[in-house]
Amino acid sequence: MTLDFPIDNPPTRYHPLTTQLPIKVATEDVSVRYGGKLALEDVTLEIPDRAVTACIGPSGCGKSTFLRCVNRMNDTIDTARVSGSIRIDSEEVNGRDVDPVVLRARVGMVFQKPNPFPKSIYENVAYGPRIHGLAETKAELDHIVETSLIKAGLWAEVADRLHHPGTSLSGGQQQRLVIARAIAVNPEVILMDEPCSALDPIATARIEELIDEMRENYSLIIVTHSMAQAARVSQMTAFFHLGKLVEYGPTEEIFTNPLDQRTQDYITGRFG
Amino acid sequence: MNNAPTIRDAVQARLAKRHRAEMRFQFYGLAAISAAVLFLAVLLGSIIIQSIPAFTAHRLVLDVEIRPEIADPRGDGSEASLRRGSYNTLIQNSLRDQFPEAGSVGELRELFGLYSAVNAARLLNEVVNNPEVLGETLPFSLPISDDADLYLKGLTTDEEFLPGAAPLTLEPGMDDALTLRSQTGAPVFDVFLDLVQARQDAALDQARIRAERTAARAAEELDTDTRNSLEAEAQRARDLVQALQEARSDTGPVRLNSQTASLMLRAQGGVLRINALARDGLSAEGTWLVGPDTASQTAQDWSLWVIETPSIARRITDRQIVWARTLKERGLIKNGLNTTLFTNADSREPELAGVAGALAGSILTMVITMLLAVPIGVGAAIYLEEFAPKNRLTDFIEVNINNLAAVPSIVFGLLGLAVFINLFGFPRSAPLVGGMVLALMTLPTVIISARAALKAVPPSIREAALGVGASRTQAVFHHVLPLAMPGILTGSIIGLAQALGETAPLLMIGMVAFIADPPTLGLSGFTEPATVMPVQIYIWSSSAERAFEARTAAAILALLTLLVSFNAVAIYLRRRFERRW
Amino acid sequence: MQSSLFAVLALLVLTAVGFLIGRRRAVAAGSGRASRLHSLPNYYGYYLALWTGLPAFVLLALYGLFGASLVNTLALGELEREAAPLIREYEAQLARDDQYQALAEETQQIEAEALSARNEMFRAEREGGDAERYLRALGALTAQRNEIAAERQVRRDQVASSVAARAPRTIPGVRARAGFEYWRAPSERRELFIADARALAFNEGLASRNTEEIRAAALALRPWEDLFRWSAAGVALALSVAGLAYARTRIRASFRARDRVEGVVGLALMMTSAIAILTTLGIVFSLLFESIRFFASIDWRIHEFLFGLHWSPQIAIRADQVGQSGAFGAVPLFAGTALITLIAMLVAAPIGLMAAIYLSEYASPRLRAWAKPALEILAGVPTVVYGFFALLTVGPFLRQFAMMLGYEDAVTQSALSAGLVMGVMIIPFVSSLSDDVINAVPQTLRDGSYAMGATKSETVRHVVFPAALPGIVGALLLAVSRAVGETMIVVMAAGQGANLTANPLESVTTITVQIVMLLTGDQEFDSPKTLSAFALGLVLFVMTLILNIIALRVVQRFRERYE
Repeated sequence: MTLDFPIDNPPTRYHPLTTQLPIKVATEDVSVRYGGKLALEDVTLEIPDRAVTACIGPSGCGKSTFLRCVNRMNDTIDTARVSGSIRIDSEEVNGRDVDPVVLRARVGMVFQKPNPFPKSIYENVAYGPRIHGLAETKAELDHIVETSLIKAGLWAEVADRLHHPGTSLSGGQQQRLVIARAIAVNPEVILMDEPCSALDPIATARIEELIDEMRENYSLIIVTHSMAQAARVSQMTAFFHLGKLVEYGPTEEIFTNPLDQRTQDYITGRFG
Repeated sequence: MNNAPTIRDAVQARLAKRHRAEMRFQFYGLAAISAAVLFLAVLLGSIIIQSIPAFTAHRLVLDVEIRPEIADPRGDGSEASLRRGSYNTLIQNSLRDQFPEAGSVGELRELFGLYSAVNAARLLNEVVNNPEVLGETLPFSLPISDDADLYLKGLTTDEEFLPGAAPLTLEPGMDDALTLRSQTGAPVFDVFLDLVQARQDAALDQARIRAERTAARAAEELDTDTRNSLEAEAQRARDLVQALQEARSDTGPVRLNSQTASLMLRAQGGVLRINALARDGLSAEGTWLVGPDTASQTAQDWSLWVIETPSIARRITDRQIVWARTLKERGLIKNGLNTTLFTNADSREPELAGVAGALAGSILTMVITMLLAVPIGVGAAIYLEEFAPKNRLTDFIEVNINNLAAVPSIVFGLLGLAVFINLFGFPRSAPLVGGMVLALMTLPTVIISARAALKAVPPSIREAALGVGASRTQAVFHHVLPLAMPGILTGSIIGLAQALGETAPLLMIGMVAFIADPPTLGLSGFTEPATVMPVQIYIWSSSAERAFEARTAAAILALLTLLVSFNAVAIYLRRRFERRW
Repeated sequence: MQSSLFAVLALLVLTAVGFLIGRRRAVAAGSGRASRLHSLPNYYGYYLALWTGLPAFVLLALYGLFGASLVNTLALGELEREAAPLIREYEAQLARDDQYQALAEETQQIEAEALSARNEMFRAEREGGDAERYLRALGALTAQRNEIAAERQVRRDQVASSVAARAPRTIPGVRARAGFEYWRAPSERRELFIADARALAFNEGLASRNTEEIRAAALALRPWEDLFRWSAAGVALALSVAGLAYARTRIRASFRARDRVEGVVGLALMMTSAIAILTTLGIVFSLLFESIRFFASIDWRIHEFLFGLHWSPQIAIRADQVGQSGAFGAVPLFAGTALITLIAMLVAAPIGLMAAIYLSEYASPRLRAWAKPALEILAGVPTVVYGFFALLTVGPFLRQFAMMLGYEDAVTQSALSAGLVMGVMIIPFVSSLSDDVINAVPQTLRDGSYAMGATKSETVRHVVFPAALPGIVGALLLAVSRAVGETMIVVMAAGQGANLTANPLESVTTITVQIVMLLTGDQEFDSPKTLSAFALGLVLFVMTLILNIIALRVVQRFRERYE
C-alpha cells in the first residue's frame, strides 16, 4: 500500500526548526532491542523545552518504546537493551553513574490507563515528595499536594475529600490525579503515554486543556494515537513507522506539508 | 518555577540512605529464601544421616545341628511332630558351643540375648519344608539383636584399645579369679586409672556445682514447698560430693562397677574382665569371659580394651560386648545390606522390623482412594464446569468444596470413625475405610484441579462440537474431556500423593494397630487390618528402642522416594502434554 | 460369596444382552436405516442396558452395605430372645446378692464424695484456695472407685457364670448361653463376638476364640445369611429382567433414547458433586450428634467444657459419669493450640511473605527455577516427617540450647519445637498463596511507582504490599487455619501435658493432640472420654470453618477488584 517510496532505509527527514525554544532533550542514534527483536532503530531528535512534542505513528511503531527510554522505564523489563545517547540538558541519561531514581524524579510519566495507587487522594499526590524527602513538615507537604492538585485542575473537585481512596474517582479525574502525582515532585520533563485513550471525549478535552496549560512550565512528550489530538495540543511532532523516526518538525509543517510520502499517507488516513 | 536544582539536591541527599534501605530489603528477601532452602536441607540431611545405620545390619551365621530328639519330639518325622520341636534350643546349643565358659543361668540369658527367639520360627519352617535335614548341620543366618548391632556399628558405646606396656603374670586366685601382675614393675594399668580418676573428678565438680546452684535457688525461692524440695535436692548433692570425696581419698583397690567404665584385657587369645585394680597400677584382678587358648602363666602380648561408656548407660552388657566382638572376629557375625527392612512387616524387635507390611497397606489404601476420588472428583468437576446452572445451589457447592479443601484432615478421620465404622459397621483398621476417608479428603483437590483443566479448554472447542450437532454430553465427553485429561491426571496424582503422606485421619480409624503380618495384596486384603507407611513411621518414632530411630528415618526416605516418584510422574505428564491455547 | 459372585456375573450378562437387544430393536424399528431413528442405535442399547443393570446393581450395593449388619442384628436378636430367662435370672440374683449390693452402695458413696470434692475444688479455684489438694483427693477417690468397680465386675462375672452354668447342655441351652454372653458384653466385646462368629460361619478370616457359644452363634447366623443372600440375588435378577422387559416395550423410532441416557449421565454427574455437600453434612452431623451425647453426659455444662481450666479426662469418677468430675475444661487445649499457632505464624508469616516478595519482584528466572521447586518439596513433605524432625532433631537441639542459656527445666517436647517446625511446614503455604496474590497486583501500579522514581523496595512496601494486603491477610488466615488443624507435628513434638502456660519451653497440648490421644489405643465408644474427642473435633471444625470462610471471602473480593 505504501510502496511508492524507496524501500532501502531512507534517512529521517527533519523540517527546519522554526521554534525559538531551547532544547531540553536530545537523543542520538537510540535503538532498543527486546530480546533479539529490534523495536526502535537509530532515533535522533531534539525536543524543545516548554513545549509539547507529540509522537505519532501506527501501533507497534516504537513510539511508546521511545518514550520509555527517556526515563529509563525500559530498565524494568529484563530483556530490553537500549543503546545510543539521550541527554537532558546535556546530561547523559544512559550513563552508568546515572541513578534511575534521580532521573525519574526529574522526568515524570503518565500512563495510558489511569493507575492511582490504592491509597487516598492525598497520599497519591504526596507519594513522590514523601519517598524523595521533598517536604520537611506536614504543612509543606500539604502545600505541595494542594498546589499540585490545583495545577492539575483537580483541587476544586476533591478538596473536600482528600482522604477518600484515589480509585473512587472517575476515569478522567483519576488521570488528572496521576498528572498531579507526577508534577508533585516538580519534574522537568513529563512523558505521557496515550493519556486519553481510556477516557471519554469530555474528559479528553479536559486533559488536553491541562496539557496546554502545562506547556508553560514543562517539556512535555506525548504519545498519541489520535492525529487530531497531536494537531490540537503539540508544537512539535515526530512520526514513527516500523521502529524508525520518519519525520520530525513543527506540528503545522508536518500536518500541512509533510516531506515523506509515508507521513503523508498516514496523516491522510491511508494506513494506520 | 525553576527550583529544579534544589529538588535534585534533595533527592540526591537521601539517595544513599534509600539505596541502603533497598539493599536491606533485598537482603531480607534473600535471607527468607535461604532460610526456607536451609530448612529443607537440614530436614533432608538430618533424616539421611539418621537413616544410614538402618541400611546395613549385622547377621550371625551359626552352624546349627538339627538334632532329631529336639526337632522331632515324637520321632516320626511328621509335620505335626516337627512343629512341636524346640528350635530355639537348637540355636542356643550352637551358640553355647562358641562360648563354653558361659555357665550360669544369668550368663546364658545374656548370651541368648544376642538374638531374638522369634528367629526360631524361620528355622522351624525351613525344617518343616525339608524334613530330610534332620540330623544334619545347617548354616543358619539370623539378624543379631538391635543393641548388639548398634554396638558393633560403634553408635552406642565408646571404647578404646591400648597395647599392653610390659609382660604380665597371671596367677590363679579365689574362685575363677586371676591376679594379674606387671612383671617389670612398670605401672601397666595407670592409663585406665587416670581415666577413672578424671571421671571421678568431673563427677565431683558437677555435683559441687549442682549443690551450690540448688542451694542458691532454694535461698531465693519464696514458695515453701518448692524451697523444701530444693533444699532436699541440695542436701542430696552435698551427700554425693561427700561420698565422691571419700572415694577419691580411698587407698584400697579401685573396684569397677556398673557406674564406672569397664576394662577388658585380651591375652592368650581370650578376654578377661578386670574387676579391681590396685592404686599403684601394678596389679589387677580379673576373670575370663572368653577362655584362653593356652594355660600359660605369663602373657607377653596383651592389650587393654577400655569400654568407656559405663554399663548402666548402655543397653548391652560387658559380656555381650565381648561375645559379639569375639563372634565378629571369628567371622560368624558379618555386616551386610539390611534386606529385612524391605522384606519384613512390623515387629517388636527392631532387627526384624520392616516396611513391607506398611507398603502393602499403603498400596491397598491408595487403590481405594484412587478408585473413589478420581471418578467422583472428575464427575463433579464436569458437572460444575459444564452442566451446572449458575444458581444458589451451585454457588453453595463451590463454597463447600473450597472449604472442604481447607478442613483439617483429622476431622475427616472423625467423620470416618463416626460414619463408616460406627454407623455402617465397616471393619476397623482396614484399607477399605482408610481409602474411603482419604478419598473424601482428596476429593476437593481433584475437583479443583479438574475444573481448572476443563476451564483451560477454550470454548471454541465446545462451540465447534455443538455446531456440528453434537449434544452437550457428547461435546464434553468426546472433545473437552480428552483435551483436559493431562491436566486432570496431574491434579489427581498430586492429590493422591498428598493422601499417601497423610497420617492423622488414619489414626482415628484404627490403622495404628501393630500389624505383624502384611495384608494380602488381593480382594480380601481390603478388609484385613493394615497400616500404612506414614503411620508406620509414627509408630516407630514413638518406640523406645534406639534402633528404631534409624529405621524410622529409613522408612521416611522410602516414603519420600515414593512421593517424589509420584510427583515426577505428574511433572512428566504436565510437560509431555502441556498445551497452550 | 459365590452366590453374590454368580448374581453379579448374571447381571453383567443380562446387561450386555439388554444392550444388544436394544440395538437390534432400534435397528428393526428404523427398518434398518439409522437415520430414521431419533438417536444412534447404540443409545437404544445403552438405554436398555441401564434399565437392566442399574436398579439391580443398586440393590446389590445396598445389600453389600447393610446386609451383614442386618443379618447380625436379626440372628443375635434371636439368640438374645432365647436368653431372656437367663437374663431375668441373672438380674434377680444380682438384686438378691448382698455382696454386690454392698459394693454398689459403696460406689454411690464414693461418687457423692467425689462430687463434693469436685465442687470444693472449683470453689477453691475461684477463691484461690488449695485446689491441688482436692485434685489429689479426687485422684485417690478415683483409684478407690476403680478398685470397687473391678470387684463389682468380678462379682457380676461370678453370678453370670453360675447362671450360665444352669443352662442345659442341649442345643437350645447353648444358644441361650450364647445370647446371654452377647447381651452381657460391652459394645467392643460384642463386635469381637460377632467377628468371631462370622469367622467361623463364613470363613471370614481367623476366629480369635472357638467356644461352644460362638459356634452356636455361627450356626444361628447361617440361615439368616442364606436367606438374605439368596433373596437379594433373586430380587436383583427379577428386577433386572423386569427392567429389561419394560424398557424393551418402549423402543420405537421416535423414542428419544439419547436424551434419556444423557439424562441419567447428567444425574450421575450431579450426584458426584452432591458428595461434596454430603461430606460436609456428614462432618457436621456426626460431630454434632456425638458432641450432643457428650454434653448430655456432662449434664449440659457446656460452659465448663469451653471455659474450664482443668483437662484431665483420665480422672473419671465413673465410666458413665466422668463429666461430673469436672475433668473436661478445654481452656488448656485452646491455649496450647493458640501458643503453637502463634509461634508457627511468627516463623511462617515473615519468611513466607518475604520469600514470595523476593521471588516475584527480585529473583532472576534462574533462582526462581531453583527456589520454587525447593519450596514445593517443603510443601510436599508429609507432616509425620516434620513430626519426626521436630522430635529427634529440633527438640533435643532446643533443649540443649535452653540448658546452655541456663534454663534448667527444658524439655524435649516443647511448644517451641513444635511451633518452629510447624512454621517451617507452613512457609511454602504462605509463600505460594502470597505469590499468587502479589502477582495479581497489576503491573501498571508498579510502573506508576517506578516512574515516580521509587526504588523497588519502596514500590513493594508502599504500593504493591498495600494493594495486595487483603489477599495476604486471607492467605495468612488460611495458614492459621492450617496450623490450628495440624495434627502430627504436635502429637509427636508438643508433649501431652495439659499445661496452662505461656512459656514456649514447656510442653503443652492442643485440640488435635487430645483428639488423637482420646481416640487411639483402647477405647469404649460410648464413654464420655471418647465422646469428648468429637466435641473437640466440633470446636476445631467450627474454628477452621470460620477462618476459612472469612479467608476465602477476603481473597475472592481481592481478586474481583483487580480482574
